Amino acid sequence: MKLYEYEGKILFRKVGIKTPNSLLVPPANDLPKGKVVVKAQLLEGGRGKRGLVRITEDASEAIKQMREEGVEKFLVEEYVPHEYEFYLSCMVDRDSQEPMFAIGKGGINVEEEGDIRTRVVSMERGVRFFDALEVSKFMKANPEEVMMVMRGLYELVLNYGVELAEINPLAVKDGSLIALDSKVIIEDNSLIRIGETLKSLGIHVERPSAYVELDGDIGIIGNGAGLTMATMDMVKIAGGSPADFLDVGGGADRNHVKESMLKVLRNPKVKKVIANIYGGITRCDEVALGVVDALKEINKPVYIRLSGTNEEQGERILEENNVKVYHDVPKMIGDALRS
Amino acid sequence: MNKDTKVLVQGITGREGSFHTRLMKSYSTKIAAGTSPGKGGTQVEGIPVYDTVEEAVKEHEIDASIIFVPASNAADAIVEAADSNIKLIVTITEHIPVIETLRAVRYAKSRGSSVIGPNSPGLIAPDETMIGIMPSRAFRKGRVGIISRSGTLTYEVAEVLKDRGQSLVVGIGGDPIIGSSMLDLAKEMEADPQTDSIVVIGEIGGIMEERLASAIARGEIKKKVVAYMAGMTAPKEKRMGHAGAVVYMGMGTFQSKIEAFKRANVKVAKTPYEIPEMI
Repeated sequence: MKLYEYEGKILFRKVGIKTPNSLLVPPANDLPKGKVVVKAQLLEGGRGKRGLVRITEDASEAIKQMREEGVEKFLVEEYVPHEYEFYLSCMVDRDSQEPMFAIGKGGINVEEEGDIRTRVVSMERGVRFFDALEVSKFMKANPEEVMMVMRGLYELVLNYGVELAEINPLAVKDGSLIALDSKVIIEDNSLIRIGETLKSLGIHVERPSAYVELDGDIGIIGNGAGLTMATMDMVKIAGGSPADFLDVGGGADRNHVKESMLKVLRNPKVKKVIANIYGGITRCDEVALGVVDALKEINKPVYIRLSGTNEEQGERILEENNVKVYHDVPKMIGDALRS
Repeated sequence: MNKDTKVLVQGITGREGSFHTRLMKSYSTKIAAGTSPGKGGTQVEGIPVYDTVEEAVKEHEIDASIIFVPASNAADAIVEAADSNIKLIVTITEHIPVIETLRAVRYAKSRGSSVIGPNSPGLIAPDETMIGIMPSRAFRKGRVGIISRSGTLTYEVAEVLKDRGQSLVVGIGGDPIIGSSMLDLAKEMEADPQTDSIVVIGEIGGIMEERLASAIARGEIKKKVVAYMAGMTAPKEKRMGHAGAVVYMGMGTFQSKIEAFKRANVKVAKTPYEIPEMI
């Protein structure tokens, strides 16, 4: 679950990472006078490039203009003049199976530039002063301050279920460090354990969804992430363009399939749906019933491959409701694209 | 792993545990015992149930364990199995927080145990044994090994390769942190006289596929390898269903995986249906 910048900064302050003074709008009524930074609070990246982060003397005017672009929530922050900007993040490194820091020069294209150094800090020992000393040379910052920030990010990853804690830019001002932005992603699997803590800190907790929106016009649904991704890729290779991606997960029942199917069908961009189901734990008859239920509410052309557990029953249910069933995936995709 | 491998089922009395115990048993997997705290002394499918792994291993010889314990206690179950020196621990459970998986997997490794998963469909040696939840109809005994990060895609590819048959099929799991990597399994298949060639099913996220490709390029794996990668069209930084299928900091993109395999002269299939003609 991605956090808003202001929510990530609540966590930063909790673990001792300094952030600029700020107000959230709404609810704040009195805007500060003088030079401030107004930042649209959106979950997607690229705000800077879209003009949704503005340094201004007139906060209310900047807010008014951004509202016209559909932004609803703003963070109004004190302007912090500084000498240098860096990138610092912490996450679990899949390769070494250890927590790892990534350090680089700050900026909006940090990931593309690839000028990032990494530092694995084993769970057994935690962040030590020599780690901070090494990093502080690169950052031209006070090593005690660097240690505070590194320890803070590390604590978020180890104790707050955070899968990515990132500061970009991390500003250096007279050797001290201040987080001008935050990007914090909570691991979905940890939400059940730390959801209450997050709520008590004023962080809005949302149930994770497996639904991903894309640009095309064909709805993609499948069971299991790999099979669903493979289906999406094959549609693209065959010349089609996926409108979305939804993995119904393992063991989905009639109602879950219906809701998943409706989610895809309700997307106005979706002209037709390609569904690829290989039942293992999932039962094909439950899938068929869910699909039929959904089509009673919104009817669009559905191309479905249904193989595996209880496939005969599933096939019968769909055919009784005039939905053609495929077992051959390339043929299903071909027919769907030709229609 | 063969037809004589003796298996313990952790979480045997639960809905999934009992259901798949029945299926594994009908595949003639040798299930020696099960555990479920508070249910010690009962039976499931005629299999004795114990409160703890420690009690089960006192009474039975156990080579491998399969875990169906819910996510909230599954990391403990891995540690418990490792403490009783069970050498192969197959973890089916999904949604275990990454840090908990990390701690449990490292502990198991320090005790000399191998963990498959979590979030794994298990493994199957067709006609010998199945320690997992795979639909048996997709598999037939043969000489192709399959290593996969995805459950359903494993079934799909196995079925596509049914004419050839498989020696060993392992779903290593789709989580960011897992016990045994593609390279670990590829090395085992390299040493396995039953396996002639290896199919690798990967997806975006992480650099496990790249590591395998480097080992192949270095000559550590000499058997023929064919790869298929899912996620060619996945948008950046979106999680595609699996907890592990997400690209951060540009690491583990579809392109970097394909290029790594090409550098190692490994054929990469564009769709799962091309695999049989490539192998």
